[in-house]
Amino acid sequence: MVYLKIKRQDESREWYDTFDIEQTPGMTVLEALFYVQEHMDGSLCFRYACRGAVCGSCGMLINRVPRLACRTQVGIAKKENTREGSGDIFVAGQKSESGEENEEILIEPLPNLKVIRDLIVDMDSFYNLVDSIKPWISSPEEHPEGGNLMDPDMRGKIEKYTNCILCACCHGSCPVAARDDTYLSPATLAKAWRMHLDPREDDASRQERLDFVDSESGVWGCDLVYKCVAVCPKKVPPTLGIKALREQIEKKKEN
Amino acid sequence: MIEHDIIVIGGGLSGLRAALEAKRNGADVAVISKVPPIRSHSVAAQGGINASIGPDDSWDSHAYDTVKGSDYLADQDTVEILCKEAPEIVYEMENWGTLFSRTEDGKIAQRPFGGAGFPRTCYAGDRTGHNLLHTMYEQVLRAGVRIYNEWMVTRLATDSNRCTGFVALNLLNSELESFRAKSIVIATGGYGRIYQRSTNSIINTGFGISLAYRAGVPIQDMEFVQFHPTTLWGTNILITEGVRGEGGYLYNKDHERFMDKYAPESMELAPRDIVARSIQTEIDEGWGFSGGYVQLDITHLGKELINERLSGIRQICIDFAGVDPIKEPIPVQPGHHYSMGGISSGKDGLTPLDGLYAIGECACISVHGANRLGGNSLLDTIVFGKRAGEHAANAVKSIAMPSEDSLNESLTEERSNIDSMMGDGGESFADVKDELRQTMQRYVGVYRNRGDLETGLANVKALEKRGENIHVKSRVNAFNMELMNVLEVKGMLDIARVITEGALVREESRGAHYRTDFLERDDEKWLKHTLAYLKDGNPKLEYKDVTITQFQPKRREY
Repeated sequence: MVYLKIKRQDESREWYDTFDIEQTPGMTVLEALFYVQEHMDGSLCFRYACRGAVCGSCGMLINRVPRLACRTQVGIAKKENTREGSGDIFVAGQKSESGEENEEILIEPLPNLKVIRDLIVDMDSFYNLVDSIKPWISSPEEHPEGGNLMDPDMRGKIEKYTNCILCACCHGSCPVAARDDTYLSPATLAKAWRMHLDPREDDASRQERLDFVDSESGVWGCDLVYKCVAVCPKKVPPTLGIKALREQIEKKKEN
Repeated sequence: MIEHDIIVIGGGLSGLRAALEAKRNGADVAVISKVPPIRSHSVAAQGGINASIGPDDSWDSHAYDTVKGSDYLADQDTVEILCKEAPEIVYEMENWGTLFSRTEDGKIAQRPFGGAGFPRTCYAGDRTGHNLLHTMYEQVLRAGVRIYNEWMVTRLATDSNRCTGFVALNLLNSELESFRAKSIVIATGGYGRIYQRSTNSIINTGFGISLAYRAGVPIQDMEFVQFHPTTLWGTNILITEGVRGEGGYLYNKDHERFMDKYAPESMELAPRDIVARSIQTEIDEGWGFSGGYVQLDITHLGKELINERLSGIRQICIDFAGVDPIKEPIPVQPGHHYSMGGISSGKDGLTPLDGLYAIGECACISVHGANRLGGNSLLDTIVFGKRAGEHAANAVKSIAMPSEDSLNESLTEERSNIDSMMGDGGESFADVKDELRQTMQRYVGVYRNRGDLETGLANVKALEKRGENIHVKSRVNAFNMELMNVLEVKGMLDIARVITEGALVREESRGAHYRTDFLERDDEKWLKHTLAYLKDGNPKLEYKDVTITQFQPKRREY
């Protein structure tokens, strides 16, 4: 058995519901939520798509840690403290003192974004932050014959950042996003660095983006506490990208 | 009423490519999707995209492999387009920022895939779909295409054999709205979730196919259902064919590389239908591991190569099966993967209903025939997405906006349809869905025969009856998932019925459709496409010829 304690919310009120469900081998938190939705309370809502940790839909707070419900095993989350009542956001589950299963998992919506209902948050405000840096390669219409060439080492550097799935787990863990809703977000700045690095990007767009993130809402707002790096389900290191962008900005200013 | 010249339903690779091309050609275009575009199932594609860009390769070699792989059911004129346009499509995506894997000298790297005579599959590690979809979405943002996120289209509107738009449910507040357009493009992907074991995203219910079917459009070749040989045991998450392309071996419980019994020349790199049947045979005959799986072993490839080219697979195995493939073999079993069939459409995506296009996995332009080769589906989405977008943009220049009448009527009908579903009692969508998925897995799977198919059909018909009585108990307006699921289950039943009937009637074995009571391909009787029309609540089957140009059918051996 496992108890899912789920934070519920609609336009007018907030409350917690506890659902007592039978745990099956290998069950993920997402599967447990489906069980509740299909068999116990059809009004429970949450986002999902791939169930394989590639689409980024099901980011939520599980035992106060921002993570993907689809790749979080019920069996593992059960062995953690739920940290109920704590106002803090953590970067990893904390094993319960006895090391035994405590039967309960605490599930809440991702922080730092407005809740629409239950576990569904307003992702548009997050996407708008990402889109503000013009996150695309402004390559010319015509490509070179046989395509552009790219050094495999450069590809490796960019790839770390390309793996971002925009799940907003980093945003949910970020103390700067918690206090400043104009902060561009770790995901946005990681993407800015990904675009900056890309040799196919044209110089004017690269400079325009660098100027845009050169602000307190941008790279200078970051607290450098690496929470985003710790929670990223795809091992993207936004803080390293932010530091690299700062260096680029300073170097440009010196010249 | 919302209006655009062109509206694309679905925000995966094909839908976004169509929207982008329409916009580039000057049309007022919008995309409507039940999930934000970057959550589409295209993001989960792993292995790669085929293009004959190697120095010794050629488009007609690619075409030959595709036609042979299709077991000669593919239309060769559309295959020619697919293969000829492939290099340009890949270079274009590269130029827009896709992070393809590279050779030492910086060119796009290519890996071998099943059924191909050349290492033709361009890839971005094992996250090719993710890379392509994000790149495509970025370019759509750059172009300024309007996107309606989290809307579910529930009914197409028609007026004298023209599609005039549709009715959609805004998931945010459960309000219905009508959308009017000169052209509609359906790009909603496959129906994998009608099978119990599927690599597909949970959102892949095939609803877009049923939208067209209910509007009177034929759906084609639905009995051809691809089962991927290697899905992760338990969750059925895809383990890319690239794993075998990089040199993975398949073993049974006696540690035999059993593929030498079934495809001695190609071994693990035989086409998917053959490898899937080989694995299923091993399991059925007791040579699999307890629980019904075989092992896919890459431990000999070494940590460095695995981390470089298959790091996503490694992480999936760790997260979802507790297995690190650097140290131990991956447990795999066949599972539903791809829909060769779909909404009948032509080389520009046009369907028999004026103003309606269909592209990508929900469509059957018939480039995959009876069995799709790995690396050809990503290619299909972009090539035909682009063509449909261009065609639609040109067409709308000379088409007037349809009158509002058919849309107002559809909106009223859909309101009353949804009202009639609300309430307590009746059937639960989850029970009907679960039984449907079990039925399809058990009776309409990798191996088929008359008895099983008849049982399957009887079950599906019984579930259709129960489906009429499903109620939505939840009355919440914001993200009423129960309502969305009820609508989708009804569409899933339509599709299951057509697949099963088509499979029962087709008395031969061809590609992925394998009848144990008709073991041979029968070109004399069955070298033809199946078309299913909805007539009085039942599928009516008709047949049409396959287009053959340069490759005459011959026996398929690997």
